[in-house]
Amino acid sequence: MSNSLSLAPAPRSEAAEQVRAEVREFLAAELAAGTFRTHVDTWLSGVDPDFSRKLGERGWLGMTWPKEYGGHERTAMERYAVTEELLAAGAPVAAHWIADRQSGPNLLRYGTEKQRQEILPRIARGECYFVIGMSEPDSGSDLASIRTKATRNESGDWVVNGAKVWTSNAHESHYGIVLVRTSPADPASRHAGLSQLLIDLSLPGITVNPIRILDGGHHFNEVVFEDVVVPGDMLLGTEGDGWHQVTAELAFERSGPERFLSTYPLLAEFGRRVVDTGDPAQLVALGRLSARALALRQMSLRIAAALDRGELPNIPAALVKDVGTTFEADVIDEVRRVVDVTPSLDSPDPLARALAEAQLHQPGFTLRGGTNEILRGIVARGLGLR
Amino acid sequence: MADQDLVVETVRDILTGFEPFVLTAERRWDSGLWSALADAGLTGVGLPEEAGGSGGELADAVAIVRTLAAGAAAVPVAEQLLVALPALLVADLELPSPELPTTFAIGDAVSVHPVDNGDGPGRFTLSGTVPNVAWAGAAQHVVVLAPAPSGVTGAVLALVDASSLPAGDGFNLAGEPRGTLVLDQVGTSGALLTAAQASEVRARFALARSVQLAAALERVLDWTVQYAGERHQFGRPLGKFQAIQMELAEMAGEVVAVTALVDAAVQALDRGSPDVVLAAAAAKVRAGAAVEVVARLAHQVHGAIGFTQEHKLHHLTRRLWSWRDEAGSELVWSRVLASGLLADGGDGLWPALTRIV
Repeated sequence: MSNSLSLAPAPRSEAAEQVRAEVREFLAAELAAGTFRTHVDTWLSGVDPDFSRKLGERGWLGMTWPKEYGGHERTAMERYAVTEELLAAGAPVAAHWIADRQSGPNLLRYGTEKQRQEILPRIARGECYFVIGMSEPDSGSDLASIRTKATRNESGDWVVNGAKVWTSNAHESHYGIVLVRTSPADPASRHAGLSQLLIDLSLPGITVNPIRILDGGHHFNEVVFEDVVVPGDMLLGTEGDGWHQVTAELAFERSGPERFLSTYPLLAEFGRRVVDTGDPAQLVALGRLSARALALRQMSLRIAAALDRGELPNIPAALVKDVGTTFEADVIDEVRRVVDVTPSLDSPDPLARALAEAQLHQPGFTLRGGTNEILRGIVARGLGLR
Repeated sequence: MADQDLVVETVRDILTGFEPFVLTAERRWDSGLWSALADAGLTGVGLPEEAGGSGGELADAVAIVRTLAAGAAAVPVAEQLLVALPALLVADLELPSPELPTTFAIGDAVSVHPVDNGDGPGRFTLSGTVPNVAWAGAAQHVVVLAPAPSGVTGAVLALVDASSLPAGDGFNLAGEPRGTLVLDQVGTSGALLTAAQASEVRARFALARSVQLAAALERVLDWTVQYAGERHQFGRPLGKFQAIQMELAEMAGEVVAVTALVDAAVQALDRGSPDVVLAAAAAKVRAGAAVEVVARLAHQVHGAIGFTQEHKLHHLTRRLWSWRDEAGSELVWSRVLASGLLADGGDGLWPALTRIV
């Protein structure tokens, strides 16, 4: 098989197992104290700044970053263990998720020293949240077609006009890393002329409009920029290098356990049901689903190990996300086939509730972070087909 | 896996002289290939030299099995290196010469009687039929896992000299011999295994087939990608069509998933994990489930030529369809896996999922 797709097995990490046990103990105590309730897909829907701060206090945010920026200099394998424990418990991690996963590493890579000093320690404390400003009303999978524009004014600042959509939790966030066009579109070089700006969402001229998802939840937003003046030093990285910089984020964005554990709380409830009923068909279904989850864990762990080696395995990450998000959706159907339960958001039955939450979130799994069709195109490139 | 490069190269070099062929009742295995492998000491790899093996690690034996499986080699190496001979070592029984093919079979319907009551390895008489004996008619010895004599817990592992026994014909979908061994008061050497040891031997068998499945799935993907690049329709290679690219990417996802889990299960076996049975169960379920997708799409992309014996594809797709049901199907191992994962109750599912591999 093509080398661009295969990664070496992840070494076992004692440090990861140690922090896993600590997180498990913490989560059990929080659940017992009633500080949160388990839900499906909480890395989108579970905004809880108090909870995020608690994670920051324990050193579970910014885990892999240098200590001088508030990080903890731990491995991607340790971070993997922490994040998958939080997801499996359905804990409210949405407030800090993007900042910790993606924006922080992005700032570490491309930010100025001042930006790193000011912002990274706040992210690591669980106090500063980010949105990704990529998609627009007319630009989804075709990201290079974005029209949000930034032009320099006479004082060297950026003036931004345009709109970004699907910005998760923009109404609760402090900054956006926004992909903008800084020079006119060139049909001969579609990926040229794009740049990333670090934008304080409290600046004048920014309007955040809610976009409700299928269950009525407010997570998505439209963020409109009208003559927003962004200080000139808030350019992230290099002007015109935005496409390359966005691509570099993708190994972080696409490979984590959130790409196959969004519906794990449903699988956990299903497991409890199987114990109660002893139904043979349910047992087999649980076995099949578990084997898929176990394979996905190994795939995702291999990417964490590759990140620890300093690699940015974008193609394997695309593959994990394709296989993983397909699994997240399949959990719903496999459970439905063997359990007679009516999904309902207000049911007293936790399985019925988890099914309802999962079903209403399901269309998002295979869209966010790159549709599975786009991902398969990337995998096809890895196979040498394009 | 770079440490295994040399052994893989050696097997590949040997394989160049032995193309896969259509197996028939008259030509049921590749005895020439076996001899070449045995002459090179490859049929004893992973077994200690003091026991008559060639030395080397489990990873070396797995690499040999993978390379042979991807080459559709008609030899009982997976059975010998990963199941039969290691099981004999577990049972503290003497190994037959690795130069003679030894296979493995599960004889759940065999009745076993002890001949002596001495300590340690002893003698037993076996009666009954053993179905689905891989490479029946080719293997000199069959290691049979049979129920323990009545009143004794665990199981018996027996080494049966098959060379003079009648073996009923039977073949899997790839034409590989899967005969029925008829035992009528056959005296053999054997040893008692604990129930846990017996489970582990079954798991080894499932893991051996999983390793073969993983290798064959990967090679089928390679062949299909290559074919899609060579075959032109509408003036372009098939691989330039998005519809085909989506199918190949889906195949790749299955292959990468299977490889990751099978490798992890092999590592679980290698480090003597107490969860090796569940790890092997998961590997077999996942590998078996991938066969449907990969074989279906491979044939779809290959078109009509892949549906004939003119093209090599069938050598592996027919094996995939066979191996997924051998050594326990997805149905069988899903039950084992789920029961094990839920052994500590519903709340134990997540701790178990993060422990077993």
